[in-house]
Amino acid sequence: MQSLLPHLERITGPRWVRHRRAELATYAMDGLPTRESPPAAVVMPGTREEVIAIVRELHRAGVPWVARGAGTGLSGGAVADPAAVMITLTRLNRILSIDPARRRAVVEPGAVNARLSEAALPFGLAYAPDPSSQAACTLGGNVAENAGGPHCLKYGVTANHITELEVVLPDGSTARLGSRGGEAWGPDLVGLFVGSEGMFGIAVEITTRLVPLPRAVRTSLADFGSIRAASEAVSAIIASGIVPAALEMMDQVCVRAVEASIYAAGYPTDAAAVLLVELDGSEEAVVGDGAVVDNLLAQHGARSITSASSPAERARLWQGRKKAFGAMGRLAPDLAVQDAVVPRSALPAVLDAVGAIGRRHELVVSNVFHAGDGNLHPNISFDRRDAQLAARVHQASGEIMEACVAAGGSITGEHGVGSDKRDYMPLIFDAATLDAMCAVRRVFDPLERANPGKVLPIHACREWRAGGVA
Amino acid sequence: MTGEERSNSGRTAVGSGASEPADSHDRFPTAVRQLSDRSSTAVPPLPDPLAPCVHCGFCLPACPTYLATGDESDSPRGRIVLMRALALGELPPTDDALAEHLDACLGCRGCEPVCPSGVQYGRGLEIARARLAEVRGLTPLARIVLGVFRRAWLWRPAFTAARWLRGTGLFGVVAGEGRMGFAAGMVAATTRHCEARSDEAIGSPRHPIASSAAPWPPRNAGRPTVLLFRGCVMDTLFTHVHDATRRTLEINGYDVVEADGQVCCGALHDHAGDVAAAKALAERNVRALADRADYVVVDSAGCGALLKDYGHLLGTEAAAAFGAKVRDVSELLAAAGPVPPGPLDLDVVYDAPCHLQHAQGVHAEPLRVLSAIPGLRLRMLPGSDKCCGSAGIYSLLKPDMARAVLDMKIAEIAAALPRPAYVTTGNPGCLMQIGAGLRAAGVPIHVVHPVELLDWAYLNSE
Repeated sequence: MQSLLPHLERITGPRWVRHRRAELATYAMDGLPTRESPPAAVVMPGTREEVIAIVRELHRAGVPWVARGAGTGLSGGAVADPAAVMITLTRLNRILSIDPARRRAVVEPGAVNARLSEAALPFGLAYAPDPSSQAACTLGGNVAENAGGPHCLKYGVTANHITELEVVLPDGSTARLGSRGGEAWGPDLVGLFVGSEGMFGIAVEITTRLVPLPRAVRTSLADFGSIRAASEAVSAIIASGIVPAALEMMDQVCVRAVEASIYAAGYPTDAAAVLLVELDGSEEAVVGDGAVVDNLLAQHGARSITSASSPAERARLWQGRKKAFGAMGRLAPDLAVQDAVVPRSALPAVLDAVGAIGRRHELVVSNVFHAGDGNLHPNISFDRRDAQLAARVHQASGEIMEACVAAGGSITGEHGVGSDKRDYMPLIFDAATLDAMCAVRRVFDPLERANPGKVLPIHACREWRAGGVA
Repeated sequence: MTGEERSNSGRTAVGSGASEPADSHDRFPTAVRQLSDRSSTAVPPLPDPLAPCVHCGFCLPACPTYLATGDESDSPRGRIVLMRALALGELPPTDDALAEHLDACLGCRGCEPVCPSGVQYGRGLEIARARLAEVRGLTPLARIVLGVFRRAWLWRPAFTAARWLRGTGLFGVVAGEGRMGFAAGMVAATTRHCEARSDEAIGSPRHPIASSAAPWPPRNAGRPTVLLFRGCVMDTLFTHVHDATRRTLEINGYDVVEADGQVCCGALHDHAGDVAAAKALAERNVRALADRADYVVVDSAGCGALLKDYGHLLGTEAAAAFGAKVRDVSELLAAAGPVPPGPLDLDVVYDAPCHLQHAQGVHAEPLRVLSAIPGLRLRMLPGSDKCCGSAGIYSLLKPDMARAVLDMKIAEIAAALPRPAYVTTGNPGCLMQIGAGLRAAGVPIHVVHPVELLDWAYLNSE
């Protein structure tokens, strides 16, 4: 590894190669503090050409690597083994072009999600996928994880908004996938690359769709005396055929943490659960659907319904929801963020089961999630210095996953598998399916050097044991 | 607005419908139950100011050094990792990389107001820097600079000489790029401007000032008294700002008094980890200024932030009582109205000093004061929540990073349309840093303290 550093420094300049112990410690985790491992070195390319040169050099040296954006992911995906080099892409953060007529933007991978929507705003456009970390997370990371967000219920996830990618493959060659117009012939390689969690290469140029801002928006807050009542209201809204722009739920633990923070949004703290329902579209549709939704909420026991009366109030309601995960530090120093999807009809039963698992293990479990598409985020607050407690958290996380799978769900909705969910993969895929995934991976990365040890259980893929995978 | 008002505003009950007790979380530990008390938005105090960090990364886009480098070692989240490692002994204070990245923190605390968990980053940094200074000592340059600010007989002649040279116009001529050009630009940026129709203030004898030695109660019974904190840079290079502070406060119904024996506030020392020097200066200031007036007024945000925090620094009741009386000049002016001034036909952008917005939590007051000026077209500078790179003596100790941070600020100012005539901000470091940056970039926009604008507007009153 020491012999590699001068080569990397020649590419980027020594300022952009980090290898001292303290510096590596700051790259040892992503947004999930339970997976900690410092990389061998961190290299920060400033141009597309430097990315290519770095990947070629690592290929030549036979050194595995992990690409990272802002490190806000929640599955331990952008964390590198001590034998792997981390390639941090935050310096490639330009928005290269915005084409308002064709509603397309071209960005570098380190461009921040929220900056793109800000840049598109003067044209009456926005980038739709809005993960809660959008103020910090990068579009390259969004592509790797196929990131979701509250508004993906109506507008679709990252995969639905990427039309073309220029990627650097693990051998340092480059390829263009898809087309700017979005109508490519042949297999959907963009669809394959988006969500590949850094195992297929690095997207160095990303073409996204932009969507027109809705003419009317109505954001409502409803609060309930029980989680079950709130989940039944969610099922009823979806069953009515109305597709809200977003439909989010937060339970009491979560609401109280948010309300104690600077992002306090006025959520009632005595409610067992609150729902945020956003409708958008034409003025008439929003008013019409709004009446139906209010009626359904009331029928299912909403104690009160408030609609934001101004854009500022709407922003406040959303800030509370989007910063909720960060506010959980008020409960305990560590947070295990879970992510699973269940059929929406199963929501009430699964939430009951999650609550029971938490009580059985005597853990603080809070729920903040995309109720409209059944994407759960049960979060467990704990202190990892307490080894016995950490073991209970691990146990409870596994049981929650099993409960979701048993209800017909999946082990991740939007955070990815990374290292955190890797061991749950056999819960939903048989050996033949995992083998097929490995085969696809080897098309892009025959030597399995890009983000090794993630997503696919080790025994399924070729063994990679350079430094012992966590 | 209180939290209580917020949670009740505009809600309409639409049915009772509780099928389960709302408080179904009684089995959860105490920490959760404490949160049910909405009456106080304060977090239960934790022994470790950094403990609430869950590593979410929401602070990254608020950090000027992270924005300049993209390097997590230069981000709040990364530095929290380093500070925790230092506290736990996982990394020693002698670790050069650790010290380098903690030193590279501006201390602007822009990460604090965006943190959902309320991590007290500034307090954590204070502890870490004190520990580093204790073991490693200060760098020679920091020792020299802080030594000068500790001794009025050193800084006063130095700054007075600079002011005299400024009068010759020399600094304005040589201001520009390069270390020396930038330094010249910093002094040139302290030059007084005036946009009032008749500039009576220039050359007029200083208003007679009541001294704290004057008989108590002061001249105008019933008018609140305010004691002007003079500081060091403010009292030499920015005397015109002090004059404007005094005049505008008098117009707004305050009696401004003076007190001898005050010294540098100690903020520069405190931020660098030289806590002993900061305490010594603070003790002298408390002795000189306590109980002399209803308020202590400060027109330098950096000084004001520490003066308000003397209670924490010194840990005495006298210091805490003193801190409770400290006000930024904009707070007093906004509280008084301010009295309607004359017009100013100017485009102005406001850039909030970090130690006003993040450290003191003063946001609306300067804007309310400036909005009172008829004809003034006031805008917030985009990115006003970000530091300009001045950060006390940071720009001297870390010139490269300071410039990288400043360049982002200058780019925002240069892009502002319509082009403003002035950038206004209430802190001497920011005034000098931004002023020098604008000169180096060849952008013909001047910098001015908000009270100067109000002062000009009063000069324009009929």
